[in-house]
Amino acid sequence: MDLTGQHSAGRRKWAVSGALAGLANGLFGGGGGMILVPLLLRWVRLEEKRAFASSVAIILPLCLVSAAVYWWRGELDWLQALPYLLGGWLGGTLGGKLFRKASPRLLRTLFALFLLYGGIRCLLF
Amino acid sequence: MSALLTWLPGLIAGCVTGLLSAFGLGGGTLLLLWLTLFAGVPQQAAQAINLVYFLPVSAGAIPAHARNGYLDGGGILWAAAAGAVAAAAAAWLATWLETELLRTLFGVYLLAMGVLELVGSQKRTDSSDRG
Repeated sequence: MDLTGQHSAGRRKWAVSGALAGLANGLFGGGGGMILVPLLLRWVRLEEKRAFASSVAIILPLCLVSAAVYWWRGELDWLQALPYLLGGWLGGTLGGKLFRKASPRLLRTLFALFLLYGGIRCLLF
Repeated sequence: MSALLTWLPGLIAGCVTGLLSAFGLGGGTLLLLWLTLFAGVPQQAAQAINLVYFLPVSAGAIPAHARNGYLDGGGILWAAAAGAVAAAAAAWLATWLETELLRTLFGVYLLAMGVLELVGSQKRTDSSDRG
């Protein structure tokens, strides 16, 4: 494949990955990163920390668009959301500073177990 | 004082999950689980909170990621453009679906992602153990 072909294949991989994350983001109000990070790692072939950081940057505009639709459809209560926004900004800023020192392996396993627990609770209760 | 007590669980939950989100660890999904399973917020309202919650989280983390040279502008623009169109359509659909159906779909999605995440994290552990 020539250079132009490689570029367009690369762009296609980014776009398809983004679209799949967008579907999850809009439908479930989150969780797009769970699709996006593995795709960026194994399909787009980004190095691990670049994949995590890129997924944060891609999900931001997706959340903006999805949140606007939820707000337009009357599902968003700003007052109820406010404490989570303040806490999220604090944690996000701290996380950005600590990111280079982070070792996510154990956290990812705990995260996976919590997802399984959440899935079972959603289906059974 | 009582306002602080009412806000405190939300502030702490937002802060912890915000930290994990900045690491790309699905903190948003954890917050969604917290809201629906423990805080008793209905599915669609929880999803809306989770979406706006991610805005300050990423706004706080992205400048640091950019300074550290982790962001590839061209690829990110393509992914964001395609993702925004898909997100708008899916969000519109979500606000029309029955809450119970949406919750069931979310449960199936969590189980699938949990299995993939568990397998993926074990694979990464194995390959790093081998050096």
